[in-house]
Amino acid sequence: MTATDLRRLRAGLAFTAPWIVGFAVFTLYPVVASLYFSFCDYSILQRPLWIGLENYRTLAGDDVFWISLRNTLWFAGAAVPLGTVTSLALALLLNQDVRGRAFFRTLFFLPSIVPLVASAMLWLWIFNGSSGLLNQVLAPVFALWGGAPPAWLGDPAWAKPALVLMSAWGAGHSMIIYLAGLQNVPRELYESADLDGAGAWSKFWHITLPVISPVIYFNVVMGIIGAMQVFTTAFVMTGGTDGNPARSTLFYALYLFSSAFYDLRMGYASAMAWILFLLIATLTWIATRVAARKVHYND
Amino acid sequence: MFVAQAEPVRITYWEKWAGFEAEAMRAVVDQFNTSQDRIVVDFVSISQIDRKLIVATAGGNPPDVAGIWFAQMSSFADRAALTPLDDFIRRDTGSEPTAWLDANYTPVFADMQRYRGRVFALISAPSTVALYWNKTAFREAGLDPEKPPRTLAELDAMSRQLTRRDPRTGALLATGFLPQEPGWFSYAYPAWFGGRLVDDDGRVALAGDPANLAAARWERGFPQTLGVDELKGFAGGFGSFASTQQAFFTGRVAMVFQGAWYDRFIARYAPGLDYGVAAWPEAAGREPGPPGQAFTVADADLLVIPRGAAHPEAAWEFIRYATSANLGATSRDELRGVELLCFGHQKPSPLKQWSPWFAANHPNPNIGVFRRLSESPRAWHVPKIGVWTEYLREYNAATQRLRLLLAEPDEAWDYVQRRVGASLERHERSVERQAGAAVAESSAAEPTEGAP
Amino acid sequence: MTTRAPIGQRALTYLLLLAGAVLFAFPMVWMVSTSLKPPEQAAAVPPTLLPRAHYAEIDGRRAEVTLDRELADRPGWWQVTAKDGARERRELPREQIDTRIEPRWGNYPEALDEMGAGRVGFGTFLTNTLIVCVLGVAGTVLSNAMVAYGFARLKWRGRDAFFAVTLATMMVPAPVLMVPLYGVFKELGWIGTLLPLWVPAWFGSAFNIFLMRQFFRTLPEEMSEAARIDGAGEWTIFWRLVLPLSTPVLAVAALFHFLYAWNDFLGPLLYLTRQETFTLAIALQSYQTQSGGVEWPLLMAASVVTVLPVIGLFFLTQRTFIQGIATTGSKG
Repeated sequence: MTATDLRRLRAGLAFTAPWIVGFAVFTLYPVVASLYFSFCDYSILQRPLWIGLENYRTLAGDDVFWISLRNTLWFAGAAVPLGTVTSLALALLLNQDVRGRAFFRTLFFLPSIVPLVASAMLWLWIFNGSSGLLNQVLAPVFALWGGAPPAWLGDPAWAKPALVLMSAWGAGHSMIIYLAGLQNVPRELYESADLDGAGAWSKFWHITLPVISPVIYFNVVMGIIGAMQVFTTAFVMTGGTDGNPARSTLFYALYLFSSAFYDLRMGYASAMAWILFLLIATLTWIATRVAARKVHYND
Repeated sequence: MFVAQAEPVRITYWEKWAGFEAEAMRAVVDQFNTSQDRIVVDFVSISQIDRKLIVATAGGNPPDVAGIWFAQMSSFADRAALTPLDDFIRRDTGSEPTAWLDANYTPVFADMQRYRGRVFALISAPSTVALYWNKTAFREAGLDPEKPPRTLAELDAMSRQLTRRDPRTGALLATGFLPQEPGWFSYAYPAWFGGRLVDDDGRVALAGDPANLAAARWERGFPQTLGVDELKGFAGGFGSFASTQQAFFTGRVAMVFQGAWYDRFIARYAPGLDYGVAAWPEAAGREPGPPGQAFTVADADLLVIPRGAAHPEAAWEFIRYATSANLGATSRDELRGVELLCFGHQKPSPLKQWSPWFAANHPNPNIGVFRRLSESPRAWHVPKIGVWTEYLREYNAATQRLRLLLAEPDEAWDYVQRRVGASLERHERSVERQAGAAVAESSAAEPTEGAP
Repeated sequence: MTTRAPIGQRALTYLLLLAGAVLFAFPMVWMVSTSLKPPEQAAAVPPTLLPRAHYAEIDGRRAEVTLDRELADRPGWWQVTAKDGARERRELPREQIDTRIEPRWGNYPEALDEMGAGRVGFGTFLTNTLIVCVLGVAGTVLSNAMVAYGFARLKWRGRDAFFAVTLATMMVPAPVLMVPLYGVFKELGWIGTLLPLWVPAWFGSAFNIFLMRQFFRTLPEEMSEAARIDGAGEWTIFWRLVLPLSTPVLAVAALFHFLYAWNDFLGPLLYLTRQETFTLAIALQSYQTQSGGVEWPLLMAASVVTVLPVIGLFFLTQRTFIQGIATTGSKG
């Protein structure tokens, strides 16, 4: 190594020093430690004791683990498509030549920056079975058919859909991203399509969608990662880590949290965390495989 | 050696309550701080104390005193997170802890302060649970407002008579009783029916017991007769507990099981509510008797010294102060310790003897009922096992399934039994393993470290 | 687009936009409206948008009353209960009840007061939140800019490999880190303090490093070279040249971190013990779950107060916000 190399190395390390520390203490050590803990009986009160695969074996036979996994996949499977469609639809609307675009954009965007705890409080109130806003609006409609609207968070069949609906309220963030993507679509493409007499649907399908497909891919992946870790809204709205009613909203992160911090089964929780890691990696890989066939990169 | 006026010892006290209950305890702390000049207690209100206390203890930096719930005591003790108080009691009272508890406390409360032959906690504020009934609702339904149900059959019959529906839609408007409203003591229903949650060896004993199954069938009867969907809509409209919209306050549910503290909530959110307080109706097939013979749930706030506390002596001195009373008190100002606290909480004192002023001027007009209930030999408390919080979680999940008609009684209880049984085994295995490791470690360390 | 869409299509667009606007805006309107109501009106059937107050003559005094129910046997007559004094009940014809639209601003001080259980002021929660946000933002901007400079503008052995590892850490989900990090903070004695919530921000984060590196790489290399020839050190170039040119990306990182720290719930839930150290998010949640729960209007008032600063921040920094999201979202 020459003196210049050494000097450059020193400068590089000096500038990245905060991250070297941060990486080691806040990422590398925790990752290694949690992998180790996942093979241990560890309660934080005592020292971790190696127990091999016992945590993983217990997990395989733990009903509640499977329930939480199913609930989480259900949530992600519903919330990600709904969020994508909602935000893309809003972006397409705003991308039209409309008056008051800035006004509408602000309006759609604002809910996405409302603190989750506060929006959870609000939706708890809106979903309230009999005096909540939603059912006050729906009750007369359902009464026409002689029925009653669902009790939402009080009904195991409707609690997850309620949380999914609520998540769509925060679509404004990805709407902004789609809007930026839409504005990058070259106008000439539309103009030549107009000359060919293409309809709106055909233009969307053959021009818009292919061009913004990388943006969609990126947002879907981020959406999956977020949805697999859903915690705050369920924690606040459906009874802490209980996942009421009847464990219908017991999500993966909630069960992990209660295993670690209520039952003090930190080793068990670490095993859950690693399974989640592998799961997210797999889902991302699948999305990438799908993207490889469907996504059009310009370069 | 002579020491002139040392600095007072400062100790930290973590309390789980916020709001008026915390204020009542603060008054006791202030009283203790002014009563002497050697110890100063810093009173701190902590949320989620169970989790945080364990972690602080694990980190070797716990508070000196903590206020926890009775239901948490066993698991804390099992995890070696609490300091036993036996030696303090022996030294200060000159008697054996068990005998001392029996001599001073109402039997159920004496029992609640013992675990595995030791004393890990003393009671600061206890309560028993009674049946509250709405006299106006009784009157409007054509029932005698002065006659609460004495048996389970009467409770069910009255509940039916108190049920009102919207004539057009059939939606529920009011009913007499709902097991889940507010449902704080659902876990006691099996015992109320004469069953039990654990056997004498501390093993889970929910499945198979006919009384436990009867309780589950009774729970399931409510959605079966009232309609699952109707109940969801009905119960979904209840306001939170501390609100004017609470079901009992609005007359939508005419009978609830609640403790002595409830009176305070009624005064705040439904002043003028015409209500009465009575013993639990008889559900175990016996002749209904007076409150002193009836079933009830006993619960208590406890004071503990976490293991590794910096000042256990000072902590004990405070606990001793906060759990004893001036039995000769003849005015509010003369109330001391536990009586001052229970006066603020509107709860009964856990001691056998009450000061004349406390008994006569208690802010809760029905305190006599709660006192007699606590004296009942059938006063029941949650089982003292290390995985109780998990048991309760499983029990609640199973009960929800019963209420939604998603499970049959035997199936629901079998499931809880299986899960909590396995969890208890795992808990015991872990406790053994950790104990084994601790032994191995200390024997390895012996050659280098002498005995303290 | 060159040709204007046909009238029918435009009408449909506006219709959909308006419908969407109602769906997105109304929950927030409802939050504010509920926060200004007395409790019994919050749950009124049918719902009313505007908060009202009813007054009636009771025992010769004018008192605010609640409208309990219309009497079944006497249409047009209502049972009312006085809100003050002994809370007397009366039955009165509707026209003797004076109803007016009147927001209950008093809900706000009451909610803020109750949130702190009377001991810890609301100001404490706000201060704690601001400490976490401001110190975190300062750390985020400084540390990530430094590190990103090291990755973007300096050439050194191992740089690209380390950067690849850095990007890979973005894949690690937070739950994997949760348990060991808790142990780290426990060992440091930081549990129960605000430190775990802002100190890590001073040590960089993969996402922000990536974001800033992309930006720094767009700055002309000749600029740095010229400075180097003039004898400027790397720190001077970073501090005097690169940073001032990079305010857009710094602002984006700062804004996002502020928002993240303001909204963070899991962190405070894990690490904070005493009410005195609570941030707004956790204070709001613990207010909701406090013994017995809270009346809806008070809970909504507390929520509005938690939301308002974020909304205010958005309106002040709209452009940065929107552009920041647009650039970070489209795979830079």
